[in-house]
Amino acid sequence: MSVLQKIKRIDGFKIITSPAVMFVFLLFAWMLIVYFYNALPAFVREGLATYFKNVWQATEEASKEHYGLLAAIWGTVYTSIIAILVALPLSIAYSVFVIDYAPKKIKNALIVLSDVMAGLPTIIYGIWGVFVLVPLLQKYVMFPLHKHLSFIPIFSSPPITGYSYFSAGILLGIMVTPFASAIMREAYQMIPFTYREAAIASGMTRYEATKTLLGYIKPAIFSGMILAFGRAVGETVAVSLVIGNTFNLSIGLFSPGYTISSLIANQFGNAFIYEHMLPALYAAGLALFIIGLAVNIAGLYLFRKWEKNVRI
Amino acid sequence: MSDFAIETKKLRIYYGENEIIKGIDLKVPKNVVFALMGPSGCGKSTLLRAFNRLLELNKEARVEGEVLILGKNVYGNGVNPIDVRKQVGMVFQYPNPFPHLSIYDNVAIGLKLNHLVKSKEELDERVKWALEKAFLWDEVKGRLDDYPASLSGGQKQRLVIARALALKPKILLMDEPTANVDPIGTRKIEELLFELKREYTIVLVTHEPMQAARVSDYVGFLYLGKLVEVGLTREIFEKPKHELTEKYVTGVLV
Amino acid sequence: MSGYRIRKGKEIAFFLAIAILTLITILPLFHIIATVFINGLPSVAEKGFTFLTGTLSEGGIGPAIIGTFVLMFLSSLIGLPIALLVGIYAYEYPDSLIGKWTKTLLQIMLEFPTILVGVFVMNIIAIPMGSYSAFAGAFALAIILMPYVAVYTHEAMRQIPFTYREASFGLGLTRIKVIFRLLVPLSKRGVLTGVLIGMAKVAGETAPLLFTAGGLYQSYSIGIFKPVGAIPLLIYTLVQSPSKVDHATAWGASLVLLLIFLLVFIPVRMSLKEVKL
Repeated sequence: MSVLQKIKRIDGFKIITSPAVMFVFLLFAWMLIVYFYNALPAFVREGLATYFKNVWQATEEASKEHYGLLAAIWGTVYTSIIAILVALPLSIAYSVFVIDYAPKKIKNALIVLSDVMAGLPTIIYGIWGVFVLVPLLQKYVMFPLHKHLSFIPIFSSPPITGYSYFSAGILLGIMVTPFASAIMREAYQMIPFTYREAAIASGMTRYEATKTLLGYIKPAIFSGMILAFGRAVGETVAVSLVIGNTFNLSIGLFSPGYTISSLIANQFGNAFIYEHMLPALYAAGLALFIIGLAVNIAGLYLFRKWEKNVRI
Repeated sequence: MSDFAIETKKLRIYYGENEIIKGIDLKVPKNVVFALMGPSGCGKSTLLRAFNRLLELNKEARVEGEVLILGKNVYGNGVNPIDVRKQVGMVFQYPNPFPHLSIYDNVAIGLKLNHLVKSKEELDERVKWALEKAFLWDEVKGRLDDYPASLSGGQKQRLVIARALALKPKILLMDEPTANVDPIGTRKIEELLFELKREYTIVLVTHEPMQAARVSDYVGFLYLGKLVEVGLTREIFEKPKHELTEKYVTGVLV
Repeated sequence: MSGYRIRKGKEIAFFLAIAILTLITILPLFHIIATVFINGLPSVAEKGFTFLTGTLSEGGIGPAIIGTFVLMFLSSLIGLPIALLVGIYAYEYPDSLIGKWTKTLLQIMLEFPTILVGVFVMNIIAIPMGSYSAFAGAFALAIILMPYVAVYTHEAMRQIPFTYREASFGLGLTRIKVIFRLLVPLSKRGVLTGVLIGMAKVAGETAPLLFTAGGLYQSYSIGIFKPVGAIPLLIYTLVQSPSKVDHATAWGASLVLLLIFLLVFIPVRMSLKEVKL
């Protein structure tokens, strides 16, 4: 082959597209490196206490500074669990209703509405959460529960401001429900039609048929919940407006707290004043990075595995 | 220069582990209509796509042996499939003019992107020439800027033929070109084949033996990846040598 | 027959439960839209046109609106070419290792916490350059935008019937011409949808701008390397203020943001069967 021929054979397509692909991969790797590298001083100074201790001492005297992220990590996990507990029944019901019960016109309207909800700017959930949802929850849910059931540990803390794990969890639940239901809808529609026919033909009522079919997509529901959890973990502004932003390590639903993302949103602005706070915040980012990555990969993996099984 | 338009030597084609074409030696003379017939799934479309290396779009496909186009092995070292495809035009089973391009642009696109014309006038002329060749000019000359969606199935297929002709290929491959066209459209395309073979060699894949009998000079009967019989169309249909061929042309074997 | 009646009863109870839960799911959306209008309209009406054009001290959010459009434009400028190329690559090499990884990476980036993108861009752009800037904000938004547009491009191109691919290659064209001159234009509708959905999404983002855009609400001094405001960012700031006046402005700004979002999103969504968000 002559040189000229070789030059002609080089695929121009790859030359144009590969750098873009490489750029995206490098960008992602770079992100991981930035978080890891900048978090390193925190691990050197505090060791594992960075993640397993609840302490936040920001002082002008550098030697007295101490930062441990446990409260924020706990808050992230706690609020996200509340969120998926809210989203689970809602998104299943929504998917079943949309696919099996709703007449065609309502069905399309409902799907568009849930897509609007999924795409709505999160700050709008935030402002609604602060001025509408939190006061409502405080008055009609938190106070009554605390008043009558405060012997149960999770209801024991008084809802002083309303800003709490509970508020954040409920708001997150509302936000991730359309997202979770979109995944379930996709899964529910993938059920081969013959199964549906078979279920109805075997004399089941609609309820029984639905129950059977839901059993069939159980793994997809599970992976949908994992992905919804991942989305709740990453949400920032809406949460930071309603969680109360307090270093707290409490099981009490009505206590204020912190999440990793709201911690970063709140503290980064003034972290530069202190000697050791910045690495701690990068360590927080790294934790969020890894939790987010692990949760999303697990969710995607499980969903794809299920999808493959269905196709066969 | 070879006497044959297309010649294959020990051609084998695999899809993954499956052998689809099982060692075929075929000679297609110049300026004829050569029909490749056989029941569906016999590998005729696959064989056709080996001639212009379009098989390479399918990552599973693997070719062994040689395909000589006008005497040159297209699977030889250093052969660029792009050059092969410029010489060998193709028409498909589903009439597939580009839906987002006007009638004019469908014919012009190959010329433009391959930089085969120097001026707008030359392009206009070549588009007109190709459409005339495809017996389509009179039907579309007033609406060259319309989209192909406004054409009938047969017209669409003739537009695809014009698109291929515009590049002035030596050979035309046609993969069941009338399978999705109504009877009137089919007749027009078949008439067109008679005209075209004066200047081009045409390889026509068909699953209707009657179509092969109507339009071809030579015919090859393909069955389960093997070339059962090949020869002059008249001879094959009048006195087939092979029992399978006889069954096929009389309609017993489908 | 009582067995049948129990089954029938269960069926009705089940239907009611499903219907009520569905209502609860969708109710917040209506409530949100209603409250945004109820609280936002008076605040917009009171200031009139000034609300859209004035600076913050004049009681308007003009600079934030301009900032949002500047950011949308800049982030598209940065993100769209890369996103299109990546989406096209994933379409063209679906079975190759890098192609598969690319698809997975895009899915992961779609779900990636946006605050992390903001801090990352602060680290690599805002800090080295010594100030917040429209460029830093737009770069962060571009990272958010890319996976959306790439995924949509990939999906749109996958819908192209194989026969058009064959036809294109059959004309003796190089891969680059087949893809960019024929197949991308062929799927332009789907690609454009992805671009618009991505932009609608980006217009509403707050977290990536927190430490990158800086915010600018008192003047119209626009520059790529100067701080810039954005409607969501402004709302976030105003909500945290103790002043009632600020809250009113925040509601007005929310109304403007909601309208921008709905005006882009609804028409695009209606022209589509499925979306990914």
